[in-house]
Amino acid sequence: MARLKDKTARMPLGNKVVMFFSKPANVILVVFFVLLCMLTLYPLLTLVSETFTVHAGREATATKQARGSFTLYSFKKLLFTLDDGGSEGFKESTSWIQFYSPLLNTMAVSITSSVIAIIFGGCVAWLVTRSNIKFKKFISTVFVFPYIMPSWTLAMFWSNFFKNVNVGPGTSNGILASVFGIMMPEWFVYGFFPISMVLGLHYAPFAYILIGGILRNMDANLEEAATILKTTRARIVSRITLPIVMPALLSTLLLVFASTMSAYAVPVFLGSPVRYYVLSTKMMSLMNTYKGQGYIIASVMIIFGVAILAINQWFTGKRKSFTTVTGKSSQISLVNLKKASWPIAVLLVIILVLLAILPLVSFALESVIIKAGDYSIENMTLDFWIGRNLSYLDQGDANGILLSPKILKALGYSLLLAVSCSVIAGTCGVLAGYGIVKRRGSFLSTAVNNLSFFPYLLPSLAFGAIYLALSTKVSFITGMFALILVGSVKYLPFASRSGISAMLQLSNEIEEAAVIVSVPWWKRMVRVIFPIQKSSFLSGYLLPFVSCMRELSLFVLLVPTSDTILTTMLMQYSEKGWDQFGNAINLLIIVVVLIINFTVNKLTGASIDKGIGG
Amino acid sequence: MKKLLSISIMLLCAIMVFSTPQAEKPAEPELTGVAALAKAAEAMTHDELVQKASAEAGVFTVYGNTSRITTAVEAFGKLYGIEIASSNLKDAEIYEKLDIEINGKAKGADMVMIQDGASLKSQMLSTGNLINFVPASVKPYIDENDQNPLVQQYINKLFIWNNKDAALNITNVWQLTEPAMKGNVIFKSPELEQVNMNFLIMCTSPAWAEKLAEAYKAQYGKAIELGSYSNAGYKWVAEFLANCTFIKSDTTIAEEISQATAAGKAGLFVLSKLRSSSVLSENLTVGQYLASETGKAIEPFSGFMYPMYSMVTANASRPYTAMLFIEYLMQADGFEPWGKSIGAYSGNKSLPAKEGDLPLTVWKDCLVSEDADYILENYETVSSFVIKAL
Repeated sequence: MARLKDKTARMPLGNKVVMFFSKPANVILVVFFVLLCMLTLYPLLTLVSETFTVHAGREATATKQARGSFTLYSFKKLLFTLDDGGSEGFKESTSWIQFYSPLLNTMAVSITSSVIAIIFGGCVAWLVTRSNIKFKKFISTVFVFPYIMPSWTLAMFWSNFFKNVNVGPGTSNGILASVFGIMMPEWFVYGFFPISMVLGLHYAPFAYILIGGILRNMDANLEEAATILKTTRARIVSRITLPIVMPALLSTLLLVFASTMSAYAVPVFLGSPVRYYVLSTKMMSLMNTYKGQGYIIASVMIIFGVAILAINQWFTGKRKSFTTVTGKSSQISLVNLKKASWPIAVLLVIILVLLAILPLVSFALESVIIKAGDYSIENMTLDFWIGRNLSYLDQGDANGILLSPKILKALGYSLLLAVSCSVIAGTCGVLAGYGIVKRRGSFLSTAVNNLSFFPYLLPSLAFGAIYLALSTKVSFITGMFALILVGSVKYLPFASRSGISAMLQLSNEIEEAAVIVSVPWWKRMVRVIFPIQKSSFLSGYLLPFVSCMRELSLFVLLVPTSDTILTTMLMQYSEKGWDQFGNAINLLIIVVVLIINFTVNKLTGASIDKGIGG
Repeated sequence: MKKLLSISIMLLCAIMVFSTPQAEKPAEPELTGVAALAKAAEAMTHDELVQKASAEAGVFTVYGNTSRITTAVEAFGKLYGIEIASSNLKDAEIYEKLDIEINGKAKGADMVMIQDGASLKSQMLSTGNLINFVPASVKPYIDENDQNPLVQQYINKLFIWNNKDAALNITNVWQLTEPAMKGNVIFKSPELEQVNMNFLIMCTSPAWAEKLAEAYKAQYGKAIELGSYSNAGYKWVAEFLANCTFIKSDTTIAEEISQATAAGKAGLFVLSKLRSSSVLSENLTVGQYLASETGKAIEPFSGFMYPMYSMVTANASRPYTAMLFIEYLMQADGFEPWGKSIGAYSGNKSLPAKEGDLPLTVWKDCLVSEDADYILENYETVSSFVIKAL
């Protein structure tokens, strides 16, 4: 080995370069490094530069400086104004109220919701893949629903279910109060607890998909060997199962933490009535008035994300191997839950019906009633779906949504956008995962690993704004191409995380066997690697698709018109108070995603739920 | 070598970013571009504008803070056979998008309907990003104070309460600061909508502070004790916000307060939300409507009002079409999407308010209006005070 190293070191530069680029992993990493520097590093540096710049309007007035000048005003105002609290001390100071207190709330919510997502999603993934629980098909199909729904709809559902006249605005009773007379306390309905619960449940499918993908392929021999040696179940889980799924667990933590840090709609919906503020709510209001301070908050969110990424790197770097899929044969045997099988299954089904099915029923109901609150048959109509000449309503379009050319066109564009983003992001994720894992430990691998995750750390609205500014400098970044580009870059982290997790699980000997018989690289990818880890790779395609279909703040500044895609149309309709049309469009988005999932299942034999064991 | 390469690339990116010129636009003594066209067009007749607009090509694009701009521009497009595109954007989004597109000289909106006079003045008018245009055909019907920037309409936010509890009757704004109203006043957080923040800032102005002090005396029979507050306006704002429960949208506030179970609740929200079929308006009392019937006004104001401005963008690719559209919006047909409901009042005095509603002259008398200069001058101080009360 030392002789080979000497020989390489003595090679002429040209030969070294040729040898370097003869390895597909190196080519992939170099290409991604350059692309990601332009598409990720540039927005990041733009964001940082905005924190030191005077913006027109209130900042220019406050600093008495010209627009575009350098200033530390934003830092001083947001981070270091702790002495204007008067007799109340620092807890009434501007910096505490605008930054430090929301920061603490954000940390609390992010950590709690991440834990909820991992525990709930991880447990259900284990039950579905490694046990003989009943109703597997139903559970695995329905478990991903909460992620397909926009998070604010889950928040609205929570509020509509639990609200009552004793808490928050106290204007009306929700379902639990009006039907069963149960008045939940304020801490349950608004504030830290429901925000964490809703976000945790919304992102639990991440954990389910990523952890389940690993558990699906884990060789049961490992656990059975421990059982033969009379190891307790708890010890098997903690010393064998957990360490193996650790990369997926950390990837989930990273994704969920970053998502919940920048979540906006849920904290506004469930936090405002009780004055519970988080960083994202402060950032949105500051972006309109003191943009520099808004961008400082965005930078802080990124710093936290980077810290978790570093922990992730450190942990996966420590261990030599996470291989679970090898060239040797393996088997999967299921843990027998015995008498616990039925109770656990029934409990899970009830929970999923409440979380996943009831909201859909609620949207469907709200989309067929004419006068709000009246659920009698006489007040119901299918006009909002398939009606014509609806001038009597004095709202919305002339036709129901399934017959409206405007909505069908927006649906077409939404699908085009989501499919394009998913294909680009998914494929790049597979390739990036391959390159990163094959060259694990090298500078290039670490750099691409980090850069491929950065887009997810930037808050969507800021990301969209930066790409809008980029589009004014680069003329071909416009229209649908701009939307596809920003969507692909933003959701690349999903694909790269699942790609990396999948490749870490794969032993080298599988590919080496193909190399020995001179199979070209592209064939190895298509005929060997991809099929083995199909379920994990496929989630890298489906997650960007689902995210793009229901994304709003990323695209809102880039869409040519509000009618271009369904989510911006939905926002318009909500603003106008056209609730029935809004609920119908919401349900349409969810149903379309489910249909696509079903179609992918039929065409490829794999899907998010089936690939994991449903 | 590798580290040097990556550091070099990062430095290159940094240079690209930090060298991007963001210098202030130089002051132009003479009008050029769209500004010059708009100035000249102010003397044109309707037919001349139509002729000029017809000669332009391409999609006519508009942005608006108001969702009904889509309805208006679609009708305009059908009338003149013009292809249109529209976007409804919120506060933060519309200013951000305009700023980026106009400064980047990219294709964006030709015309905007926009609120928040203070932001408009400091970010758009002073930089020349948005251009004012007053159509000659309607100029005689527009108040001089509403001409620059041009006010297309006024929107009001009023004290409206649930009338299931007959005991609730607001005749003085200080009632909303009393212990009995704690948690029963519903308002959209000023952090979520700038016009709400602007209203609170205006309450601290000398004129309104004095009226609030008088209203206090009228309610309680004694002079107000300010304590640590600078004036009566600050005291009212702090105590009003302490009693508020915040909901994120005016539509939701209207729906919630109108429920039969919301007895004793009062809100400060957009009157035109009562047009929604999900609002049970029979359960609501509009303070100023009641005041007009009984002759007993709400002291010293019944709510606040803010303008929706119509402006041409400096990078408009169809400037004459934008001007024609502004003229259209100032007339009956163009105002119809808003005018057919209560709560919208055209800047054109010849267009009456909806039947059953009160005229603009009444609202201008009893509501707090924006003063962009005062707001800009005092924003830093008062907004810091407000956020501590949220």
